[in-house]
Amino acid sequence: MQGQVILFQLLNGIGIGMIYFLLSVGLTMIFGLMRFVNFAHGTLYLVGAYTAYSVSLLTGSMWWALAFGPLAAAVIALISERLILRHTYEMPHEAQILVTFALALIFQESIILIFDPLAKNVPVPSLLSGIVFIGSFVYPAYRLAVVFAAAVIAILLWFALERTRFGAALRAGSESTEMVSLLGINVQKVFMVAFLVGGGLAGLAGTLSAPLRGVEPFMGSEALGVAFVVVVVGGIGSFTGALLGGLLIGVVQSMASSLWPEGARLMIYGAMALVLLVRPAGLMGRS
Amino acid sequence: MNTFSAYRPFPDATTGALAIVLVALPFVLPSVTLASELVVFAVGALSCTFLLGLVGLLSFGQGLFFGIGAYGAALILLHSNSGSLVAVLAAAAMAAIAAAIVGFLSVRRRGIYFVMLTLAFAQMGYFAMLALKNVTGGENGLTGVPRPPIVADLGVLAHPQAVYAFLAAICFLAFVLTQRVASSPLGSVLRAIRENDIRADALGYDVRLFKIAALAFGGFLAGLAGAMHTIFLGLAPPNTIEPEMSERLVIMAIIGGTGSPMGALIGAGFYVLLADFLSTLWPRWLMIIAFLMIAIVLFLPNGLWGSAELLIGRWKSHRARAVSPEPVDG
Repeated sequence: MQGQVILFQLLNGIGIGMIYFLLSVGLTMIFGLMRFVNFAHGTLYLVGAYTAYSVSLLTGSMWWALAFGPLAAAVIALISERLILRHTYEMPHEAQILVTFALALIFQESIILIFDPLAKNVPVPSLLSGIVFIGSFVYPAYRLAVVFAAAVIAILLWFALERTRFGAALRAGSESTEMVSLLGINVQKVFMVAFLVGGGLAGLAGTLSAPLRGVEPFMGSEALGVAFVVVVVGGIGSFTGALLGGLLIGVVQSMASSLWPEGARLMIYGAMALVLLVRPAGLMGRS
Repeated sequence: MNTFSAYRPFPDATTGALAIVLVALPFVLPSVTLASELVVFAVGALSCTFLLGLVGLLSFGQGLFFGIGAYGAALILLHSNSGSLVAVLAAAAMAAIAAAIVGFLSVRRRGIYFVMLTLAFAQMGYFAMLALKNVTGGENGLTGVPRPPIVADLGVLAHPQAVYAFLAAICFLAFVLTQRVASSPLGSVLRAIRENDIRADALGYDVRLFKIAALAFGGFLAGLAGAMHTIFLGLAPPNTIEPEMSERLVIMAIIGGTGSPMGALIGAGFYVLLADFLSTLWPRWLMIIAFLMIAIVLFLPNGLWGSAELLIGRWKSHRARAVSPEPVDG
């Protein structure tokens, strides 16, 4: 490969990786806090993407879509947590998995019912539809914007987790929920906010990726699998793990796509198997 | 109370009940193809029922081994002169080997991580099928798969009835084999692992190795079902290796209940017949199945078969009390 191609694929990989990070960070946060694996997490990505599609169709502007996609996903995450999921916290893991999985199926079928099973394109925001020149290097503006936006959000999120009272409660909650609630912090509220933020970020991942890959009803279950790979690679419950895992998987997928286009998606599972062999607990995981 | 939770002599009453059901199915159901589909998925669901019910392993990846069985059988039948039986068994063996390899990687993590890994590997299988499109036919799958006699010239599979008889016989043997494994010393160790794997480990059992063995057997059952599916359809479509196949097998096992192998038959029957009925009414019938699954997880944790067993048990004890008179003091 020539240097230009490698740089191009590396940037693409970082873009995809940042989207994978946004997708997975909510899953890993919620698991760390509640030991709860949400098999409906991919649904939030799906909802974000389809909201972006509808809003951009209705208003003709991708900017509104950027606002409404994450919002819709966050609201749905919150409603499902309040109405259904919180009743399953005391149940065995298998029951939680099956209930959330059934929920994901219901959402997927609803999307097909409202729209149709066909894939659809979503336009790139007009301001970002052009290309950027970096010296002699040419790169699509939208992909560059995705990398920057996701990086800003990652920094904000890190700040919120590490430097605020709420972040401290959340991190402490993932160590010992009981102790935190004994200290007088409303754990239920912390759970709710974690769902709201995690869901919103997964929705944002769906929204940002919609112009890159279009939307289709089965993207949610695919995203769930990718999020699991990221979490297994990075180590579950770890913010840095989600970031590292997302970037690694994104870059592997992107690099592989220029070597063996049909096998690019296959390679990310190869990377996962390799990490499992070398570090079973994940890159940042504590065994 | 059932074969998975307690030791029970083998074969037992459910073995006889299974034989009767399998003989009756083609006469009771509207078509013999529906009966064939039912027995294929009964074996597929059995792989999940066995893993979850006996070993406590929830696998969202059995579709991968179903797909390997389906594609393996199609490739053997297309490129060699072997009979149907050899093709089916060889394909199931391939799936078992694949399951042992995936198992080797995924038993490195326990609990929820294990479930996540099975789902990820199931997706990997789908992408592998797409990547190797020279072998697998990509999105088109493998078509025009011949249906040779079972062994040499014996057992010609020309009629749907003959195909059903062949598939039902394999289904019966698969269930008997599963019951046999469950009531063997190996089955006792697997139950011990389900109840408390740390204690089983402390007692000196190599838990990882036993889990891999169980996963290989589960993969064998799923691969068997996949190979049966190829014999049944005469082609190997991509949906046999899609992640949805894994999900379908899990749903069937849960609906039927994982306490007994019979749950797999009931779950698969319920799903196949309901899908056959609902799909003519409403294309989004899967949504109804999803609601049903939530209801079963929340209100009938033993599934249909487990709940039925419970009811029969209560009814029996109730009757026994009503019939036997109060003991009179002498």
